Amino acid sequence: MSARFVGAKVAGSLVTLIFVICFNFFLFRVVEGDPVANLYRGRNLSEQQRDKLTKQFGLDKSTGAQFVSYLKETATFNFGRTYTGNAPVWEEIKRKAGPTIALVGISAILSGVFGVLLGIAAAWRRRTRTDYSVTAFSVGTYSMPDFWLGMVLLTLFAVVLGWFPVGGLQDAASDATGLSKLADEAHHMFLPCLTLTVAYLGEYAIIMRSSLLDTMREDYLVLARAKGLRDVMVRNRHAVPNAILPVVALLAINFGFVLSGAIAVEAIFSWPGLGLATYEALKGPDLPMLQGLFLVFSASVIFFNLIADLLYGYLDPRVRPA
Amino acid sequence: MKRLALVIVPCALLLAVLMAVSAQSQDDNSGGGGEKKVVFSVGDPQGIDSMNPLIGVTVAAYEAWNIQYATLTDKAASDFHTIPGLAESWKGSKDGLTWTYKLRPGLKWSDGKPLTAEDIAWNVNTSRDEEWINHSATTVNLDATAKDDTTVVIKTKVPDPKLPTMDVYILPKHIFGKMSADARGKYAATDGVGSGPFVLDKFEKGQFARFKANKYYWGGKPAVDEVVLRKFNNPDTMVAALKTGEIDAAEDVPGAAFDQLAKDDSIQTVEGNQGAMSEIAINGGDGLKKPHPALLDPKVRQAIAHAIDKKTLVARVLNGHGTPTETLSTSPDPKWTPDIPADQVYDFDLDKARQILEDAGYKDTDGDGVREMPGGGKPLNFTYMVRSDGETGAKIAEFETGWLKEIGIATTKKVADDTQLTEIIGKGDYDMFSWGWTPFVDPDPMLSYFTCDQIASDPKDPTNYYNDANYCDPQYDKLYQQQKVELDPKKREQIVHEMLTRLQQSAVYNVIYTYPDTQAYIKNRFEGFVRQPAKIGPVVYSNTSPSYARLKPVTASASSDDGGSSGGIIAAIVAVVLVAAGAVFFMRRRRTADERE
Repeated sequence: MSARFVGAKVAGSLVTLIFVICFNFFLFRVVEGDPVANLYRGRNLSEQQRDKLTKQFGLDKSTGAQFVSYLKETATFNFGRTYTGNAPVWEEIKRKAGPTIALVGISAILSGVFGVLLGIAAAWRRRTRTDYSVTAFSVGTYSMPDFWLGMVLLTLFAVVLGWFPVGGLQDAASDATGLSKLADEAHHMFLPCLTLTVAYLGEYAIIMRSSLLDTMREDYLVLARAKGLRDVMVRNRHAVPNAILPVVALLAINFGFVLSGAIAVEAIFSWPGLGLATYEALKGPDLPMLQGLFLVFSASVIFFNLIADLLYGYLDPRVRPA
Repeated sequence: MKRLALVIVPCALLLAVLMAVSAQSQDDNSGGGGEKKVVFSVGDPQGIDSMNPLIGVTVAAYEAWNIQYATLTDKAASDFHTIPGLAESWKGSKDGLTWTYKLRPGLKWSDGKPLTAEDIAWNVNTSRDEEWINHSATTVNLDATAKDDTTVVIKTKVPDPKLPTMDVYILPKHIFGKMSADARGKYAATDGVGSGPFVLDKFEKGQFARFKANKYYWGGKPAVDEVVLRKFNNPDTMVAALKTGEIDAAEDVPGAAFDQLAKDDSIQTVEGNQGAMSEIAINGGDGLKKPHPALLDPKVRQAIAHAIDKKTLVARVLNGHGTPTETLSTSPDPKWTPDIPADQVYDFDLDKARQILEDAGYKDTDGDGVREMPGGGKPLNFTYMVRSDGETGAKIAEFETGWLKEIGIATTKKVADDTQLTEIIGKGDYDMFSWGWTPFVDPDPMLSYFTCDQIASDPKDPTNYYNDANYCDPQYDKLYQQQKVELDPKKREQIVHEMLTRLQQSAVYNVIYTYPDTQAYIKNRFEGFVRQPAKIGPVVYSNTSPSYARLKPVTASASSDDGGSSGGIIAAIVAVVLVAAGAVFFMRRRRTADERE
């Protein structure tokens, strides 16, 4: 890849990021509302206390002045303090990023791997029972709302069978450390992870199947067979590598969304991640928290799109400019 | 496809090992002497926003402070009357302006440091000067001095009927006092030093807070070793956790699940009344913008009040979990609510409503089913704001607009979320809406919201006021000032009753019902649940949360992890099933592959 190609892609990403930073500020101010009145409704506050909170939140300044100070602060990686709980935004995001990356990241990988495997199986044995059942399963899970699937799995495995805890990240009464803490967390993560894996696996399977079917019509596969290669070798050496390109792109793009979490599934399993944090911040609205979250989300999407672009260029020479 | 089996089998084995270790770790949750810890866990859907009483505002945060921070005087579980807390006795001066409190001897913070009169004085004076959000309404006019280690004198600038009650959380001066005012306002307060029955042991914000019994608690060390307040983002999941026994009690159980749990023999459901209410409010016309001119006529408002079927609303909106109510509920203590004389109650009677409108000259002259202003003219079409947050607003609007239609009043429904609605109310830009309040124990704050100076007067800052009736009654204000300084409890009660009856008569603020906190707990695990107030109140998440210190496990084995010990067996079963499935799959693939090759 030429330096010019990489440079252009990186520059494009940076421009997008700057646009997002500016856009973020105004996006959450479109909806009129007074966070102080909203967050403290029903509290017995004096006017002085309200003024103090308004000042603390920086809402006493004009929108223009707020925007300038927002740009300055963002440039120095200072995202301010949350309105609810008065904690540093960056610390909150860091704390909640771990559980989200673990849950959504692992399920993204698992759904990618199993989805691709299912898609290969279906395409390679097209119009057999395997194909029909894989396709039916993929379309079924793909169209299934993830929160519904989550509720079903939760009712079955946690309430009826009692094999897994109903939610949370860890056993509140436990002081476990090391391996048993990890095991406890894995035990808690199993159901949400299974939900997300099953919910997203269909998408990969369907795309892999159709892509592989296209490839199977290619002449070079006939040639490979004519050479006397075993079926498995034809598939693994010649068909799959050529068919996997769209899936790689999808995977990279989906990885960009890992950080933004899975709001519905995080809510059902009370998973303390970034998806839930977004939902809760919207209620205030907790402006600094929302700005911080959306900046991180957009940055992550932009970054992984850049990776996808570059990866595409690497995997498929046709994408690269000559 | 052999590779698929190679993936599945190790996955299954890994899972089995993890579950076995996890089950093991759950079984290890024992105290020092090999005995199991007694843990009481409560689920709630909101969670603690901050452990610092200078910051937090959520209900769960109050629950946490209730068990971590003792107060100078406590409140009786039965009826909220003032009882000894950190202070064992107190004496007032003749004019009621000076109160001298005697602390219990030998009080200690949970870290062993002495708790003295100096701690009390520092809290009162600092919270007043710095306007702490959860303290200053009580301490704004007070000044405290520590006479000696166990004597504190509190003086008030104005007669204050709330005294001698001193129910603000006493924070440890040796921790909070070492910081600057600014640092205090940002402090996470996870130090776990308190004087209540339990103190913070572990706080995972957004997940749970765990508290351990405080051996220095003035009421003696509680029987329960640990209390866990756990946050559930999905109420249905919380109900599931209660059914599986992962938690022992749940707060704010959703309506449908509540009725189901009530049928479960192993679970006790509780309707805990704390005075929360909903109302249908009419724009009283004294705010920034006038409503439809017909609403300024008391007759029209009375007709509307007669067109609210409170019983049906309780039955259909709350599934029967509520009580039709005539006037503002200003306290969880029912003594503050007056009995409205039967002839002054606006009973549901559509004929009477029609008659009132007819007599006052609001007739349907053009035959379109909607009445017009007297003498013809503007039709009675009101803007009804429907609250989109919460589940009840839309349902109430559906019923109410139907009844209004029947008496010849048209409505234009507009939907707004809480943020928007707060602003719309402040601007007076509505005719009617439905919303609600939850009162404090003392009626003063709720009464103050309906005084004239709480009507929004600054169009640039419409949300900085509380009077969401936009109604000003100078006589009400006069009575408000009287009750604020009336030191005779009986007389004050009478004044409050008179105020609330006046407000009810105006028919601008039509209270529909009070509704309970829906709670549930597992029956045979813990005993000693206390309702506050007696008979009608909740068992947890009440005003002072007296249950926790009194709970005792029913049997020695009571603990919140029954499921854990079978984890090993289950892990083995899962592993066997998965390995078998993997093997079958693998064999099948082998066979078909042979056929293909």
